Amino acid sequence: MENKTIYPKASLADYGYRETPAYVKKITKILKAALTYFIVFLLYVSVIVIFIESLNSSHDMRSFDQVTLKWYTNIFTQVQDTEQIKAMLIVVKNTFVVSIIATLVATVLGTFFAIGLYSFQKKKRQQWMLMNNIPLLNADIVTGISLMLLFSLLRPLFPSIFGLFTLVIAHLFFTFPYVILSVMPKLKETDPNLMDAALDLGVKPFKSIVKVLIPAVQSGVFAGMLLAFTMSIDDFVISYFNKGGYNNLSIWLYGVLGKTDATPSVYALSTLMTLFTLVALVVFQSINNHNNKKGKLWLRK
Amino acid sequence: MNRLYKGLARPYQVWLIVLVFIPLLSMLLISVSNYSVGMDLANLQITLSHWNLLYENVSSTPGTFSNPFITAFTNSLTGAFFTTIISFVLGYFVAYQIKRSRVKNKLIIMTIIILPMWTNLLLRVGGFANIMLENNIIESIFGINPLGGLFGTWPGIVFALVVTYMPFMILPVYTALEKIDISLEEASLDLGLTPFKTFWKVIFPLSMKGVVTGSIMVFLPTFAGFAIPKLLGGNIYFIGNMIENRFIYTRNYAEGSLLSMVVLIIILGSLLLITRFDKEGETLL
Repeated sequence: MENKTIYPKASLADYGYRETPAYVKKITKILKAALTYFIVFLLYVSVIVIFIESLNSSHDMRSFDQVTLKWYTNIFTQVQDTEQIKAMLIVVKNTFVVSIIATLVATVLGTFFAIGLYSFQKKKRQQWMLMNNIPLLNADIVTGISLMLLFSLLRPLFPSIFGLFTLVIAHLFFTFPYVILSVMPKLKETDPNLMDAALDLGVKPFKSIVKVLIPAVQSGVFAGMLLAFTMSIDDFVISYFNKGGYNNLSIWLYGVLGKTDATPSVYALSTLMTLFTLVALVVFQSINNHNNKKGKLWLRK
Repeated sequence: MNRLYKGLARPYQVWLIVLVFIPLLSMLLISVSNYSVGMDLANLQITLSHWNLLYENVSSTPGTFSNPFITAFTNSLTGAFFTTIISFVLGYFVAYQIKRSRVKNKLIIMTIIILPMWTNLLLRVGGFANIMLENNIIESIFGINPLGGLFGTWPGIVFALVVTYMPFMILPVYTALEKIDISLEEASLDLGLTPFKTFWKVIFPLSMKGVVTGSIMVFLPTFAGFAIPKLLGGNIYFIGNMIENRFIYTRNYAEGSLLSMVVLIIILGSLLLITRFDKEGETLL
């Protein structure tokens, strides 16, 4: 029988690995979470203020009287601040008209543009993607003014050009890039054999885009649509310079904010619109998930 | 990919050229002319006489120097610089924490970060203007007034700018962080780097693409914006306010175009920077 030498087991510390005490880890974890929530909360501070204002029964923004829903009902019944509410409803309608037209056109055409750009050679594609980013990165004020100058050049030919037309063109100018940027990565992810197979099997080129490629990238298309709508509905600067007589909500607010006669129904309407968009998104998302589970969108990654 | 489809992009190429280059060219031409709205076009001529706007001393007290353009430019630069730095620190932290939390559904994260943007920008700024006054609604309800008195001060403006533009920092940084292969981090830890060193030597350099994009997306709108300084700034004005004034109120397009060209130079610099880091704008969204 030989004696077995018992060697000491090396601990993690012997390898130079220092374990941070558990309580320190826990504290930093809690602190990090708290700070994260706090920063996200900061993003919502103004939204919360708007919500509080919408429940404030006093016309004075600076003091809270009591909770009321009258500013909400007022939008529909218009018993108070009638003129202001009428003006507000018109500009809200204008905002939606411009944003919906711009978003739909940008989504449909932008998807095809993205497919076109995707089929470029790499070098050329990079150059044109850079061009595509110019409207995104350019300062709004420069974009707004440069478009205004362009439309002014056309004014001798079309005297009443400023209005819905110029606004839609201006909005398309900065919504196309968002759609293209969301569709492009999805296009890169698709299997190139997919299109070749479709074409091999005798599907016409245009039909194969509609039936094969677009379903494969549809999540990118929807993301682009969402971003385009978000940017379009919130735009102030670019619209401001190209509005003609066609005011949208932001432009109207720029004029009335801070004035004492501004109706608190603005806050109520804003809260309603935010809630509406949120509900629409949740419904959209759950339908999407439902379809995914049923395997309808089997092409989606 | 089928070369057949190249033609699909043709209208967009034309669109970009018409809407980017023609307007910029006319802006350049106007900035070296004496054009203003309603003038007799027969008197139009090339002149640089209004360029003294950029350096002329308008101070009425002798021995002192004041020039509205230099003040506005410095204000814009200072505001944009501090906003970018603070947004970077806070935004990177949030993006990193979201990444660590391993939430799979990107749409939910995007929604939480973007949701405030669905409330109109001007209304949000109006909300800040409200709670930055003395005696505001927060004080009347909760009895505390953390932001009171910030109206018209630098901290107030920078706070509003940071909160407004931070989402544009969080999203690209998160996109960049999300693309980093997790095995790189594991390898680094395995090979004995401390968590901090792993972050500093591995994660952070790989997320630079997102940081550069985010910084530019925050810097540019802050530098050139005019709504926030106008609604919150009191006496502090940015270069955007001057441009707005020239185009909307005094209708002096020549001066306005000149000021816009100054902004454009800053933008071109940023564009060059961004193309060095991110060739196809992958982190822009």
